[in-house]
Amino acid sequence: MEHPILFISIILEKLGLPVPHGPVGHTFLEKLCEPYMTYTWLVMAFLFLVARLTLGNLEMIPGKGQNFWELVIGGMDDFFADNMGREMADKFFPMIATFALYIAVANLIGLIPGFMSPTSSLNTTLALTLIVWFSHHLIGFREHGLSYYKHFMGPVWWLVPLLLPIEIISNLARLLSLSIRLFGNIMAKETLLAILFMLAGGFFAPLPIMILGVLVSVVQAMVFVLLTVVYFAQAKEHAH
Amino acid sequence: MGDVKKEFVQLLANYGHIGFTFVAAIVIGMGGGIYLDQKVFDGRTSPWFTFIGLALGIAAGYKTLFEVIWRDKKAADQQKADAEKDHED
Repeated sequence: MEHPILFISIILEKLGLPVPHGPVGHTFLEKLCEPYMTYTWLVMAFLFLVARLTLGNLEMIPGKGQNFWELVIGGMDDFFADNMGREMADKFFPMIATFALYIAVANLIGLIPGFMSPTSSLNTTLALTLIVWFSHHLIGFREHGLSYYKHFMGPVWWLVPLLLPIEIISNLARLLSLSIRLFGNIMAKETLLAILFMLAGGFFAPLPIMILGVLVSVVQAMVFVLLTVVYFAQAKEHAH
Repeated sequence: MGDVKKEFVQLLANYGHIGFTFVAAIVIGMGGGIYLDQKVFDGRTSPWFTFIGLALGIAAGYKTLFEVIWRDKKAADQQKADAEKDHED
């Protein structure tokens, strides 16, 4: 298959930095120059700079930029508060909102030729998932102390031998499904677009897939955030 | 984004993950069973832990499915209660 043209990798190569040609690099510097790393930094810089440039000083009567951000942040805040309560939403808003913005932008950036989605690498999505997974257990332990284990025990004692493995399996399945779903959807989109560009790019064949790609990107960012919120809320509430 | 489209995306987010979670639960359950059979007990217990793991995995898949349904039901009940309260007022 034809190698996708990634402009950051080309610039880095011109600068004399070792950009790995396979999926993973060997030395530390090669690992840092992998496309998904460089594009993660691009997304981070993009989010930071755009927020900085459009927001400026906060005013009572919002201008164009502030209006947009108020809509985005306000919408997310309402959504979190609906699903996990006002108190938790206030506490975890910075973390989950950052995930939402990062994943949405990282998914959408792959639709532009010359860019790739950092989320189309399992490393990125697994890192995000591990953060969510560990923090939802941390919330559980902080909220209930050691009796958090009752979450895994089911309602009655004689069902414990049956329900304990089931609960553990379904909890580990969260780890797998959360990371691989995001990775799989975005990688499928990227691969499909690359193949269609190669086969019939001149006839606008990738166009319908690009439209679907926008939907998939938004929905997958939403799924990730929704599940994060649900897991946090479940860890916090009382065992059945 | 219009209201209809927003709702559509929310519904997709709500139910779009069910299939994959179901499969992930089965894969984890059966993988754990195979690991126990082949690596821990060196094939002496084969195929029993594989089957037990598969059964537990399927049960775990259904559990995640029911969790989604219960959550929906709870939300619907809440909405109904709120609506009735509004009605009384």
